[in-house]
Amino acid sequence: MARGELSRTLWSAAEGLRSAPRPQCTRTMRLPYRSLQPAARFISTTPSRSAELIKETPEPTPEPFTAAPEFQFEGEEDIEDGDMGPRGGKRSKGGNSQQSNNQLLRTLRVIPASRSYFSAKPTFNDDYLHVSALLRSVATLPTISSTEAPRVAWKTIDQYRIMTNEPVKTQRFHKMMHIVKRLNLVHPSLMPEHIKIAMRRFMKDSQPGDVVPEPQVLDQWGRARGVGRRKTSSAVVWLVEGEGEVLVNGKSLSQFFGRLHHRESAVWALKATQRLDKYNMFGLVQGGGSTGQAEALTLAVAKALLVHEPALKPALRRAGCVTRDPRKVERKKTGHVKARKMPTWVKR
Amino acid sequence: MPPPTCLRSFSQLSLDSAARASMASRARAHAQMACFSTSAARYANPVSKKKGMAQTKKGNKTLNVKKGRNTVQDTGKRPAQGERKAARKRIVLTNDNALEVATLKDMTKADVLSEANQGRVLGIPEATVDALRAVEAFKTTQGWSLFRRPATLMRKETIELAKVMKAAEDDKKTLRRVLSGERLSGKSTLLLQGLSMAFVRQWIVINLPEAQDIINAHTEYAPLPDSQPTQYTQETYTASLLSQILKANNTAENPMLEKIKVTTSPALPLALPADATLKQLIELGIVNPEASWPVFVALWQELTQPGRPPIMLAVDGTAHMMKESDYLNAEVKPIHSFDLTIIRHFIDHLSGAKSLPNGGVILAATSQSNAPSTPALDFSVQVAEARQVDPSKTPRWNPYKNIDPRVMEALKDLHSPTAKEQLKPLDVIKVGGLSKDEARSIMEYYAESGMLRAKIDDGFVTEKWSLAGMGNIGELERASVRLRI
Repeated sequence: MARGELSRTLWSAAEGLRSAPRPQCTRTMRLPYRSLQPAARFISTTPSRSAELIKETPEPTPEPFTAAPEFQFEGEEDIEDGDMGPRGGKRSKGGNSQQSNNQLLRTLRVIPASRSYFSAKPTFNDDYLHVSALLRSVATLPTISSTEAPRVAWKTIDQYRIMTNEPVKTQRFHKMMHIVKRLNLVHPSLMPEHIKIAMRRFMKDSQPGDVVPEPQVLDQWGRARGVGRRKTSSAVVWLVEGEGEVLVNGKSLSQFFGRLHHRESAVWALKATQRLDKYNMFGLVQGGGSTGQAEALTLAVAKALLVHEPALKPALRRAGCVTRDPRKVERKKTGHVKARKMPTWVKR
Repeated sequence: MPPPTCLRSFSQLSLDSAARASMASRARAHAQMACFSTSAARYANPVSKKKGMAQTKKGNKTLNVKKGRNTVQDTGKRPAQGERKAARKRIVLTNDNALEVATLKDMTKADVLSEANQGRVLGIPEATVDALRAVEAFKTTQGWSLFRRPATLMRKETIELAKVMKAAEDDKKTLRRVLSGERLSGKSTLLLQGLSMAFVRQWIVINLPEAQDIINAHTEYAPLPDSQPTQYTQETYTASLLSQILKANNTAENPMLEKIKVTTSPALPLALPADATLKQLIELGIVNPEASWPVFVALWQELTQPGRPPIMLAVDGTAHMMKESDYLNAEVKPIHSFDLTIIRHFIDHLSGAKSLPNGGVILAATSQSNAPSTPALDFSVQVAEARQVDPSKTPRWNPYKNIDPRVMEALKDLHSPTAKEQLKPLDVIKVGGLSKDEARSIMEYYAESGMLRAKIDDGFVTEKWSLAGMGNIGELERASVRLRI
């Protein structure tokens, strides 16, 4: 990872410094720089686990590693002449070119591509400078409020630290993320493409809404199918247009559920939307107890109803039929009598 | 061990070993035992407590863990003997707080059996209510106490039963029906409707209120003389049944048992006055329980003479009589229920072995909440129900279940293929759910009685209908009247 990261940041730094007046070995510096990479950049004393780290970064193929070409001074002679003029050195061509090369190398000042090279956290520093520059470029564009902005799952500080392999401080990271989040507020219709690409570096790999379930459809007999779960019960319900008949596991509602409350729970999605007389329902439910089965049916009926009438979703959400209840029995712990209960205190 | 004793033992030990060296080993053992014995200490007088320190003060509180001391005596009034049972069995048929339903009409003799009544709620006339109470047709679990006065919904199954009764009355046929259906679907209420229609039509009504009471060995029994195989009579039960028959069928406005004279000459152990009426005959059986069974036989013989009214013979909780009873015979083997004379009498008519020459209906209601397992009855009912739906698809007998051949024989008409005639002699009336119209009708009655405070519209009716398991009337009543929030 570090390899790809570094080269990328160096590139961007080199781009920024292209117009600098000083003579540089822009192209060739990339790879020597890497070889000069101090081992102290690793935070941990253990060798970096490059295989794992590569997996977490969005760049699947690292840039090809090639040895640096040797410095060729012939092409740059005129520049060097200009530079070296005041010294009055005269270059002899031919047999002792190797020697003169070494001499030249000794006089050459190698400038790192990134300005942050001498800082403690160069990658982070580069990132910070980069997003600041980006923000400066789009600061005048209209923005939207944070509630309307596209929802993004940003990388956590730990993920960022692993990506950069630098001990980034929390506060500084948040300062940078503040800028990144401000970038996200630029009006979507005016958002430049390169900013979108730049922001991708700070996003998690999987974003909310990435996985969109396939929309359900009615089958050839006009049935909508829905699945619901609660506690340890799971229910499958088929809903067809009809006049309010309900069968659960082949039994009528009153035969299957003794308590009226459970019956109401089972058909609550239909009852809350006044659709009880519009549909026939048959369900299969298994596992758990009566309450779990009844409330698993609630969820399954709601999902099946949404296939028939997707516009009912807000109403069903208000009725509490859309979200699955994630509560389960808490596990028993060792040393406890139950999940939380401790044994009775005895003196000895 | 106090030190002086110990020292003494040691000294003895040394003396012993010195004196008798030859018996050294044994002596040593003895001596050691003597050395570590604690008996001297035990026999010593107990050390008296030092004066001045050990006496506990009087009045100190000590922990009392004995049970039953200082507990508060329950001073509540105990219920008198039989009071709790009376409260449990009490039948309340009126609710003064419920409103009088102005539109409620009573059953009348003229149109009680007409099909036009379907979906209407009809009140039960007061005389009939008394008669029904006499034959114990009302159950404590039914919701009569919620309304001003007893009224029932004439549902589809009721009309079906009314048709059967009409056919029995007109053609003097004996028609037998088994009432089946799921729990709280109204089987016992349908039986009650049949009984009330019979009362209104001035039939003779004989009702066995609960088959369990006949077979659970709570009443005395005796072998019937000259019966082969031995049958058993239940004198007390028969006597109380006779008194129920008299009370129910001999009301003030229809004293038919007083009018009918005994025409045959029954062989009774007691003398009957000449020119006696049926009422006198029955009273003879009531007063002398030992003669109750011959009186019942004589009464039945009288009632089946030509020109007498049709008979309604009914039982609830049929499953109990389709198995061995709790009575034991002389060999300490259980007596089959069919060997009890009353049940034998009923089963003979239900199976078709005996018929009613003046016409009549035999009704047997099953129960889902209080029913022993009777595979033969269950299977027969299943077959008959399936045959009503599709004659070609009937369930098969499960060979791993214990079959009671006598029950199967008694109910064999249920298995017979459907004849093309309109009314089978023995059939099942499946009491299912109400239709939505019927549900609406009964819910309007609830609302008019003031017991259901809601606007009765289609949505409301359908909601309750669905929640009640597709129109199960017991659940409908529970959901709309009883469990109001």
